[in-house]
Amino acid sequence: PSPMARGKAKEGDGNWKKFIWNSEKKEFLGRTGGSWFKILLFYLIFYGCLAGIFIGTIQVMLLTISEYEPKYQDRVAPPGLTVVPQVLKTEVSFSISDPKTYEEYVEGLNRFLKNYDNSQQTDEMIFDDCPGAFNNAQGQKKVCRFRREWLENCSGILDSSYGYKDGKPCVVVKLNRILGFKPKAIIPRKCCKNVDKIGTVEYYGLGGYAGFPLQYYPYYGKLLQPKYLQPLMAVQFTNLTYDTEVRVECKVYGENIHYSDKDRFQGRFEVKFDIKSS
Amino acid sequence: SSPQDQYEMYSVEMEKQGNGAMDVKIKKKKTNKAAKKKEKLESMKKEMDVVSGGSRTGVALAGEILLRDGPNELKPPKGTPEYVKFARQLAGGLQCLMWVAAAICLIAFGIQCGQGDLTSADNLYLAIALIAVVVVTGCFGYYQEFKSTNIIASFKNLVPQQATVIRDGDKFQINANQLVVGDLVEIKGGDRVPADIRIITAQGCKVDNSSLTGESEPQTRAPECTHESPLETRNIAFFSTMCLEGTATGIIVNTGDRTIIGRIASLASGVENEKTPIAIEIEHFVDIIAGLAIFFGGTFFVVAMVIGYPFLKAMVFFMAIVVAYVPEGLLATVTVCLSLTAKRLARKNCVVKNLEAVETLGSTSVICSDKTGTLTQNRMTVSHLWFDNQIHTADTTEDQSGQSFDQSSETWRALCKIVSLCNRAFFKSGQDNVPVPKRIVIGDASETALLKFSEITLGNVMEYRERCKKACEIPFNSTNKFQLSIHELEDPRDPRYLLVMKGAPERILERCATIMIKGQELPLDEQWKEAFQTAYMDLGGLGERVLGFCHLYLDPGQFPRGFAFDTEDMNFPTSGLCFAGLISMIDPPRATVPDAVMKCRTAGIRVIMVTGDHPITAKAIAASVGIISEGSETVEDIAARMRIPVEQVNKEARACVVNGGQLKDMETEELVEILKMHPEMVFARTSPQQKLIIVESCQKLGAIVAVTGDGVNDSPALKKADIGVAMGIAGSDAAKNAADMILLDDNFASIVTGVEQGRLIFDNLKKSIAYTLTKNIPELTPYLIYITVSVPLPLGCITILFIELCTDIFPSVSLAYEKAESDIMHLKPRNPRRDRLVNEALAVYSYFQIGAIQSFAGFTDYFTAMAQEGWFPLLCVGLRAQWENDHLQDLQDSYGQEWTFGQRLYQEYTCYTVFFISIEMCQISDVLIRKTRRLSVFQQGFFRNKILVIAIVFQLCLGCFLCYCPGMPNIFNFMPIRFQWWLVPLPYGILIFVYDEIRKLGVRRHPGSWWDKELYY
Repeated sequence: PSPMARGKAKEGDGNWKKFIWNSEKKEFLGRTGGSWFKILLFYLIFYGCLAGIFIGTIQVMLLTISEYEPKYQDRVAPPGLTVVPQVLKTEVSFSISDPKTYEEYVEGLNRFLKNYDNSQQTDEMIFDDCPGAFNNAQGQKKVCRFRREWLENCSGILDSSYGYKDGKPCVVVKLNRILGFKPKAIIPRKCCKNVDKIGTVEYYGLGGYAGFPLQYYPYYGKLLQPKYLQPLMAVQFTNLTYDTEVRVECKVYGENIHYSDKDRFQGRFEVKFDIKSS
Repeated sequence: SSPQDQYEMYSVEMEKQGNGAMDVKIKKKKTNKAAKKKEKLESMKKEMDVVSGGSRTGVALAGEILLRDGPNELKPPKGTPEYVKFARQLAGGLQCLMWVAAAICLIAFGIQCGQGDLTSADNLYLAIALIAVVVVTGCFGYYQEFKSTNIIASFKNLVPQQATVIRDGDKFQINANQLVVGDLVEIKGGDRVPADIRIITAQGCKVDNSSLTGESEPQTRAPECTHESPLETRNIAFFSTMCLEGTATGIIVNTGDRTIIGRIASLASGVENEKTPIAIEIEHFVDIIAGLAIFFGGTFFVVAMVIGYPFLKAMVFFMAIVVAYVPEGLLATVTVCLSLTAKRLARKNCVVKNLEAVETLGSTSVICSDKTGTLTQNRMTVSHLWFDNQIHTADTTEDQSGQSFDQSSETWRALCKIVSLCNRAFFKSGQDNVPVPKRIVIGDASETALLKFSEITLGNVMEYRERCKKACEIPFNSTNKFQLSIHELEDPRDPRYLLVMKGAPERILERCATIMIKGQELPLDEQWKEAFQTAYMDLGGLGERVLGFCHLYLDPGQFPRGFAFDTEDMNFPTSGLCFAGLISMIDPPRATVPDAVMKCRTAGIRVIMVTGDHPITAKAIAASVGIISEGSETVEDIAARMRIPVEQVNKEARACVVNGGQLKDMETEELVEILKMHPEMVFARTSPQQKLIIVESCQKLGAIVAVTGDGVNDSPALKKADIGVAMGIAGSDAAKNAADMILLDDNFASIVTGVEQGRLIFDNLKKSIAYTLTKNIPELTPYLIYITVSVPLPLGCITILFIELCTDIFPSVSLAYEKAESDIMHLKPRNPRRDRLVNEALAVYSYFQIGAIQSFAGFTDYFTAMAQEGWFPLLCVGLRAQWENDHLQDLQDSYGQEWTFGQRLYQEYTCYTVFFISIEMCQISDVLIRKTRRLSVFQQGFFRNKILVIAIVFQLCLGCFLCYCPGMPNIFNFMPIRFQWWLVPLPYGILIFVYDEIRKLGVRRHPGSWWDKELYY
């Protein structure tokens, strides 16, 4: 063996204990107390400075960023589409006869629509009725009211189970909020894919209009519109085929709405229904 | 007992068997006791019996035997099967960790699949990437190994040896590998003995057994059996030894691996190879890294489980930490750096078999060098002449560039005539265009020297001999100690005969009555005899072989043309001759060697000469090349100078010449003591076995020993040495096999070049490793922050692999081209126990200082990219669970904007890329600071290392390509990023540079201070 191995063999035995605490030299892990103090002080100063520089640069960086509007929106726009209830793998499956199986979906819708209760929209300082006109006045940061009852059958007011107990499930759709985003042109929305199995589809929205009303846009951000309510659309599938898996894809149409192959929720969504008749 | 006492010894016993074949028993003996060592070493002198087998063969029978015994050649030592070699490359410490990581990925993927989640194939990708990494690096390592074994294999493809064989009464020239036992073969001077043969007839046959027994003197071969042992007896000539002169015929008794040399060769391959220091260092280091990786991974696995992550997730964390912490590119970097140096060395005539040997060479502290051929030119050369009562110096340089002496004297002309005529050596024909020193000569060493000498000074000797026809000749023999021949004269009208004679000077002088001085024949009185004695002593003291020359013009009356000279009766005068002069010869040192030895001395390397030659010659050569420096004296020298007996010398002598006889009676401890006491050592008259003892003694003193050797019997010493150096020209295959390095030009100076390169690569490897290790921290911290603070993941596993194996490889390799910071040949050899390749300071400085700065750079850039896209730093904290929930399509950022999962994923990839670019930018700064460890980069020069500049440009281009090549987001998770995100880490890069300059300044200004101790790596 080379001298290296020899050296190691000699040092190897029983030197571990000595390494951890060497009582002769009063060394702990190969350093004396004073030495530990010095090195720890050094690292304290070193990391102190580093942390200072780090926090400093982050602060400087934050100074360059407006609180009111994001610097870039290229990752978040074009907007995504959210469907409520949000469920595992967007799979809605329940049986009509057993309320427990759709309880989860109803809960989800209830939770979501709670913000849209009339009682939440009473403050005149914040809410405005937006009488159909495009709300683009400068400095005007009031929030348009969106009344829950406009969703009719899917509002949960008429039917607290949102049609699930009749096998006519409702889903509520919203266009994700993007600060300053104004959808261009009217936005009709349609569901497609194996049309025969889907049957008739009812749309509820502002004035029974199958689209997102433009007067609610743009969104001015959390600071200016903390209670912003975006317009909703409810979709009720009144004649779904039971006891089979039905896949539904919904798309929003608009000039500045785009779709992506990779993101299945950008400008569209997909729901799978599996309703058991018994 | 310490492990150095454990080594394996072999002894061979061969027994007679009824059928005449030989049986070999190889006993493997192990011993732990130092006391037994010598005895065991002696047993390495093999005891063998050889009994001739078979009868003379015919062509048909030969074919049969050939089928039975196989071809007459040495089988290459059994190597490890190729697939095992490959498998070994795949099963290193780090590789195993990677396998585990890949397995975890696959399991995670499998479980996800089982749960029906087909959306994320990331784990599968990662597993494939990891396996690919292991396999690719494995292939790379295998290829390297394959290439270096190929270099060795190429040495064996020598021109097929031819042999003259007599079968069925006819002479054939056949390839030596076709010979079989029982063949009758003829050998003559200049041939290599084609197999072990028993001599039947011989005429003045001499063989060189030095490669087998280490005896450098030519051995006579004759038909009579003189000894029981086949190694001692005269009637056996061994396979692969050289026949120097004469002719012989003999019957083949052994072929191929059954020859004596074949057995020894296979023995040597059994001695375990020593692991090189750097291999141990790297293994040691890799073990630590792997251990730390598992420790970190395990800790965070537990932390993750305690925090409440599911088991599978925790396993994936474990895997990710392993991937982040293990420097995947390190082994490749080290291999490439070493092979670059190996290539550089190969250009300088050192072929390195084990890559790691390059570095070992750098830590060498003792070189045990052969004399013949390594320190010297391995050719006898006329060095001094004495005539006209004056010593003249001949030109001994290899290229005849030196000064010549005055050749106008008449005496010189007479001497020259004798030298040319009284010589049996001759040039092989067809070499007219070859420069004289390189021509092949048939004849013994001194005759060759004289022939070449006269060819150079006179010109065409062969033609001259032709003109002066030889009338009769008495070759040299040990009883007469002279050689004589009688020639006609050049001038055909001159009827006289010329008798020329050369031989041992004192014998020649006895036969002389006159001496020629300046062309005049003067009576040889006491005064001249004294002059002769002085000259003879002077030349002998130089360690040179001295020959005397004399001549006599025979009386034409007594010896007319056509006189029948009789060599038996000597019917001509052999005394009363005219003394012409003395010529002394030596194997002169190579021109480059004194400088090289000097370099070793300044580099703190001891050069020890180990030779089989005479002590006087050895000492003379040692003194002339500087192994014994000017002014150094041995005990004997002091004794001679002070005219007192050797025992009374109590002054310390620096130099010491030990001969083999003394060595034999010495205890190991005694030898160690002598080695310790005398810095300048020469071992003379040593056998190859003693070489092994010398090597071991040096190693006992803690030295890293390089040993040169060429003979088969040197192989154990070569293996034992930390680095064995075989000679490319003179070396036997066995020696080459046992060695770690091969000197193609057999030149000692090449070893020194190797040492220099080895030291340089050690320094540069240190820099490379420091560079490679640094980025492990910025790769690891994202995970730690991710798990503990639950921010969205800043850096992905695949991105880490790209840093490790793609962008950072070239810069780390480019550090191997860095010039030395100072004159490394003026430093002492490194102490392998203290100056480690990877020491604590290096790891701590890389990890906790530079690595920490890089991490901060990465996080700054990460938070910048997040904040500018709408996610403020404080919001990120604790966001992980929601961020990674792929059912949540409306996660709100700091402005209340809602993000789908897909959008968040691309944002995450953007973060990976930004973090990646930060590490890259900092690594550019890192590679610049790693150019030096002590000097300022400004002193070293920014652009002196062109390769490094190219590497940085390449790294940047690669970074751009990864970021901006279309398709990257979905394949490798790289996103095109904004230009300003490249600039965010720049201040940190500058910080790294400035901080390191300050560190170096402190180290330079205050050597030995706290700063120096803690921060110099």
